[in-house]
Amino acid sequence: MRPVFAFLLLALICFASTKSESDFEEDDSDDFAEFDDGNFYAEPAAKNADSFSGGAGSSHGESRDDPPAKEPRKQAQNQESDEEDGLVEDDDEFEHFQDEEEFEGYDGGDSKDPPIDQKMLMVAGLLAYFANFFAGKAKNARLAQLWFSTHRALLDENFALVGDDGKAENENPGLIKESESLYTLWCSGRTCCEGMLVELKMIKRQDLVSLVAGLMRPQLDQAHIKIELTRGVMDAFVFAVGTKKTITKVFKEYTDLSKFCSLVGKPEDRYNVPTGFGVLSEIPEATSAILESRIITALNKYQSYIDYLHISDQFSGPIQQEEGGTLKQPETKAVLLAGFNLPKHAEMETIKPLLLLIFYLMERLKTYRMSKEGKAKSDKNRQRVEEEFLKSTHAARAEAAAQRREDKRKQEKERILADEDPEKQRRWEAKEQKRQAKRNAPKMKRLAVKSL
Amino acid sequence: MNMSVDPRRKEKINRYKAPKNQGQSGGANEDMMPDYMNILGMIFSMCGLMMKLKWCAWFALYCSCISFASSRASDDAKQVLSSFMLSVSAVVMSYLQNPAAMTPPWAS
Repeated sequence: MRPVFAFLLLALICFASTKSESDFEEDDSDDFAEFDDGNFYAEPAAKNADSFSGGAGSSHGESRDDPPAKEPRKQAQNQESDEEDGLVEDDDEFEHFQDEEEFEGYDGGDSKDPPIDQKMLMVAGLLAYFANFFAGKAKNARLAQLWFSTHRALLDENFALVGDDGKAENENPGLIKESESLYTLWCSGRTCCEGMLVELKMIKRQDLVSLVAGLMRPQLDQAHIKIELTRGVMDAFVFAVGTKKTITKVFKEYTDLSKFCSLVGKPEDRYNVPTGFGVLSEIPEATSAILESRIITALNKYQSYIDYLHISDQFSGPIQQEEGGTLKQPETKAVLLAGFNLPKHAEMETIKPLLLLIFYLMERLKTYRMSKEGKAKSDKNRQRVEEEFLKSTHAARAEAAAQRREDKRKQEKERILADEDPEKQRRWEAKEQKRQAKRNAPKMKRLAVKSL
Repeated sequence: MNMSVDPRRKEKINRYKAPKNQGQSGGANEDMMPDYMNILGMIFSMCGLMMKLKWCAWFALYCSCISFASSRASDDAKQVLSSFMLSVSAVVMSYLQNPAAMTPPWAS
């Protein structure tokens, strides 16, 4: 979508510039029209002058204010013209183009002006882009730092390691800048989880085109939290709650949600979630256990800031397009994902309780255990998904096995051929022939049955 | 919501590992803008250079600016730089060859 806006903006700039250019062109054409008129009147005068001067062609050449550089050439011409008077007129026909007097008042229509203006316009556009780039970049950095400083104390209380750049020696603990509009923070060393990755996805303030696009489709600064839970901490179920728009989007995008969950009809009545929220649930009892009164209160209170909450023991990322390497089932992780909108006026304190909500949810997942029926249902679901996967990849797996067998035989053949022992080769060929015959035999039989 | 026990565990510290599929089409949230703009910029630069279209050259310059602004920190800076150089050379060459005003595609 964004490139389209980029095109539009640039088309607008081009249009503006060409409009100014066409104005100039119109002026130019008018000027030339007048010039032609002037030419029309000037020519007979010149001709008259020639005819009056008679054979003395040199006299008119000297009487005009020609540029000094032209003098030698003209003298030569005049020498020639002494001998051949008839040619003089032809030579001097365009002489007045070089005469400055003829162009009095036409200097304003210099044809080199318009490109300079266009160029200036384009360069001004570039300067505006870069000015916005530096301003936007600084604002994004400031907002990210503000988020970090607001939540720092809480993070320090919960994690043994806050801020890690992944290098052998943690050189700059704190936010990592992935791009001018994306900051990440890695925290680790806590019970129940392996680590927490916070991604601060800012509006692309550094990119003027994205900002213009944002006018048509408003966006918000967002914080995406991904917590990798320790295996076995939570019971096996998949669940998500969030704004309807996001929920429908992730329902299509994520493998675990699309395979295990179903969209709950009328979640406002069933689970008391705020209006405008959608729920994806696998095991109803787990869903209602997660959406208990405290969570519902938080959802209601911070409705405008919560984008989604996603809990899953089978998270394997977005749905992969069909590729060669899908013979193995994708690796799954137990995760707790959350997406929050950041407040518009940088009042980060307002969303601080949301991080507390995340820690609370983690503790809740640790303590909550499903009933026997729930567990049986979840096991059944996992088995069903696995069977479906095996069925869908059956043909591909059979093909891969056949390929492997073929490769093995080829290797053996090469080995035998490399071995310079004719007796061995002959024996291998006989064996191979026997094998081929054996393979073909049942087919023959089948054919015979068919023909009957 | 207040936790009485300290939840921190030093022995459970895992170091940060950058996601493997960064820069590829793997992630759904992956921002493809810089790549698209890079390719567009290159195409427009080529058009600007080969067909002497000034608006193409300017377009390429803007594309490389957008690509630069939204590139990742982990991305190769050389790529952005080369895209810049190509588009700038397209602009310069097209004006050197013909300093006249540019004509938009629909005017010719």
